[in-house]
Amino acid sequence: MFTAAAESFLRQAREIQEEELRRFTARVSAVLQSPEPGPEAVDALQRLHLTVAATKYPRKLDGKFVELLQTVLCSPKSPEQIQVLCAAILREMSPCNDLILSCDEIQDTKLLSLVSSVLLAQGEVAAVGQRVVKVLERRLPEGQSARFLLPVLANVISLSPESLTEEQTNVVSKKLADWLRYASIQQGVAQPSGGFFSSPRTKQPAPITEVDGTVATDFFTVLSVAQHYTQDQWLNMQTFSMLRKWLLCYGGKELNTLNPGMDRCVTSMVPTTGTAGRLLPPRERLRDKAFEYCQRLIEQSNRRPLKKDDGDLQKACLIEAVTIMDIICKQDSSYVCRAVSFLKILHSRICGDATYARALLPIAQFFLNHSKLAAVDSDAIYKHLFTDIPAQLFHNPSLAFEFVQFCKDNSQLFTDSSSIFRQSFPNLFKFLAWNSPPLISEFVDLLPFLLDAGTTIEIFHLLLDLPCLTAALDIQAASLPASEKAGGDPAGKPATCLEAFRHPLYKSMFQYLLRTNNSSFAHSLVPLRQLLGALAGSPRVVQCAETVPVLLELFFRVVAEFADGSLINQLVVLLLQRSDQLYEIPAFKEDVYRVLGSQLAVLCSLRPALVVELSTEILEFSGAVSNIQSKEAIFTHMAWAVGEYLSVSYDKRCTVEQITRFFETLEAVLFEITQLRPQASTPSCAPRAISVLMATLTKLAARSQDLIPRVSMFLSKMRTFVQSPAATSVYCEEDLEEILIRATELMNLLKMPSVAQFVFTPPQASSRFQREVNDSLPLALRMVTQFLEPAPGSMPV
Amino acid sequence: MVRAFVLLAPGGPAGHAPCRVLYARTFGTPAGTAPGGPRQRLCRKEQLLVVARQVASQCQLLQSSLGCLSSPQLPQLPDELMSLQDAPGGLFQMPPGDPFPEGVTVVWLSVLALAFALVCEPQENLSLAEITLRRLAPRLLLSLRLLGPGADVLLRPDAADGLLDRLLPHGQMLFLNEHFLQAMDRDMGIKTYH
Repeated sequence: MFTAAAESFLRQAREIQEEELRRFTARVSAVLQSPEPGPEAVDALQRLHLTVAATKYPRKLDGKFVELLQTVLCSPKSPEQIQVLCAAILREMSPCNDLILSCDEIQDTKLLSLVSSVLLAQGEVAAVGQRVVKVLERRLPEGQSARFLLPVLANVISLSPESLTEEQTNVVSKKLADWLRYASIQQGVAQPSGGFFSSPRTKQPAPITEVDGTVATDFFTVLSVAQHYTQDQWLNMQTFSMLRKWLLCYGGKELNTLNPGMDRCVTSMVPTTGTAGRLLPPRERLRDKAFEYCQRLIEQSNRRPLKKDDGDLQKACLIEAVTIMDIICKQDSSYVCRAVSFLKILHSRICGDATYARALLPIAQFFLNHSKLAAVDSDAIYKHLFTDIPAQLFHNPSLAFEFVQFCKDNSQLFTDSSSIFRQSFPNLFKFLAWNSPPLISEFVDLLPFLLDAGTTIEIFHLLLDLPCLTAALDIQAASLPASEKAGGDPAGKPATCLEAFRHPLYKSMFQYLLRTNNSSFAHSLVPLRQLLGALAGSPRVVQCAETVPVLLELFFRVVAEFADGSLINQLVVLLLQRSDQLYEIPAFKEDVYRVLGSQLAVLCSLRPALVVELSTEILEFSGAVSNIQSKEAIFTHMAWAVGEYLSVSYDKRCTVEQITRFFETLEAVLFEITQLRPQASTPSCAPRAISVLMATLTKLAARSQDLIPRVSMFLSKMRTFVQSPAATSVYCEEDLEEILIRATELMNLLKMPSVAQFVFTPPQASSRFQREVNDSLPLALRMVTQFLEPAPGSMPV
Repeated sequence: MVRAFVLLAPGGPAGHAPCRVLYARTFGTPAGTAPGGPRQRLCRKEQLLVVARQVASQCQLLQSSLGCLSSPQLPQLPDELMSLQDAPGGLFQMPPGDPFPEGVTVVWLSVLALAFALVCEPQENLSLAEITLRRLAPRLLLSLRLLGPGADVLLRPDAADGLLDRLLPHGQMLFLNEHFLQAMDRDMGIKTYH
């Protein structure tokens, strides 16, 4: 934690002034230049580091002093701790103009590594790369080890692969291949401790063992065990650690020596190690050794480790080995056949073991990349991966993350609606339902690939029920200990969610919610949703609920791009239906209504005719006064859409009767909510709803002018309403004033029916125009009002 | 490769203690980073702070979903390596441009009031990253006495650097089996009870 002491030191470091810093660096300078810098120097450098690191703006240090730091860093006489501190300070200051550091003269590999860290922070990647390769090329002096240089090289090539020439990469590839394949198979010996009791005879080095304790019979790998390791064994471990990076950077740049157009595996039976006596070129040789190494690792991962933690490393090695094999096969397709048979065996070995689940992903990726070439049927692999794994292991956050990444990396697979990938989307959402915070942004990327005309409706329901899915997964996990007696009394109601899981009344609903493939469900989930209400407060459920509005907005945006009229109609009907059937979390419902409301308006703008086509459903929804209170966002947008689009210019089938019916329905609602003497049952609603209802009624009246007197009378009564105690006790002054102004403007507009008709029924020119009209309606109303009741001097020109 | 390592104090939920970076190390400046001294340095610090804040937020969300109460205090400083097998942790992605030019994956681990994070290049071996973190964290906790009242983490960057130079040299994650790890601990003078 951030302790009080740390807080205090940090504050002091930030508050040090330039003058004080100057004096301090002078003191540090003196201490560093003393013949044997000791703990005082260490302490001083540590404080200096904090001072330099503590501020966001860089501290200006004297150029001479910076030079001194560099000199001390590079001097072989400096104690190691001081060198490390100098490097830390120089790195902290980078990029720094006063850096004159060069690695050209440094012979000691450990020091070279340290100095490189400063140079790489400075951006001097090429210089470091050149120096490191030069040192690696030659034979190292006694006592020096190349093992400190390989990580530097790995960093260089990941920052800037162009730093090395082809010749240099060949030289290094040759060495890497040797280190990979020919490390000693004897254990190293401990440094003799000397002393009275130590044996004068040197012990015979023991052979290396496997992780399960058996003596190794094959070459050394990172899964080989020794009490002490030799230098070349360290190199072996370092080499494997950077192997993938190296192969990716430099493994594939030349032509495949075999015919690149081949589409069968037959010719690849020719061994690639070359004929006797001919050594492969460095790239190919490294590929060959790497492939062999990976095969050995995969075999070694079958062993049961004596130390439990080695099991984790085995799995990581397995994943790395498969990935490297995949890369090798991409670079040289002659390896594919060998790899395919090998990996199929591996897959059948691990596919039943949940602890190896993460390794199934690179295996599947391999088959996706290469199975066509090998003419191999890998459908069973994908089916197992997409059907079983998410259902069983959704609660493993690392697997969940990697699985979703896998889907994103292979998103083109989801476009084929008949494929197992597409069909298993209900399973994928289990990852999101359980691990919402880290995966929501991944699903935002993935969702568009899952949506098409065939999946829209099911995904709509799925998104709205996502928090229910979380709750159901929770119950499923709790029900797994099989000692649970089945369901309790089937005739009675289950007492707990857990009992309900096996209860015949709820069982099929749970099964549907927890399904692994896409399908539809004939019955309603309402009882299940109510039952799961008990878990609505669970943190995981709440976190999942928070992701739904984002996904819903995206859903509608994507669907709008391809939906035809019939699908849009279906969605609108469902939208209105589902608004009554949401999981009972107030904040969740509030947010979902907000999204559904605005998206409803969008759908209506895409297909205005739906107002006429779905008039029954819309009338039913708009006529229910309770909707104006409980689902204000949806109601308001619905009412707006009616006013906007219920017109002959949008659909020839729109009749005067229909306009009148809508008018009467909405008028009744408005009447109910603006009563002067409200009852307890009268819903209160947002002022915006009142405004929109007034505007809609006016618009409808403009189209069917018989209604004008009714609206005008209603609007004129608004003044009374606004001044009534019923209104003033519920709404604030600004809102009431706004309502009154709006009512007056609308009334005035209706005094000029032909103008009103023009304003409210624009020609169907373009959607942009429609939007502009909607936005400019208040402006238009105000202009007209000013025209009718000009204030002195405000006559529009 | 690992782009950066961050050790942070996540702080409390919004409004309480802010998230603080206690120690951070980046491994090299990518070529093509816009040059320009103070700006580049500031950018680097800001990027790491963004990572830290994201980690803090994910950490708090995970802890609330697990129903964790406020972290219990250890009765005394541990004098040997803690096992962090059950420590909460996670993975998340940060898209290109926000805050690094290329997308990165962040692997994080939380221990009481601290969190450790590795900022990895895309397509990195995340299993190995988790293993590396679970090895770095207890050694840092021990060596810097992170659970105590002191400020070693600020005042002894050499200790942190030393550990990183062994277990994550230049951002290179290492496939160390338990015996390799033991040999390394011996080199570093860390007593472990295997």
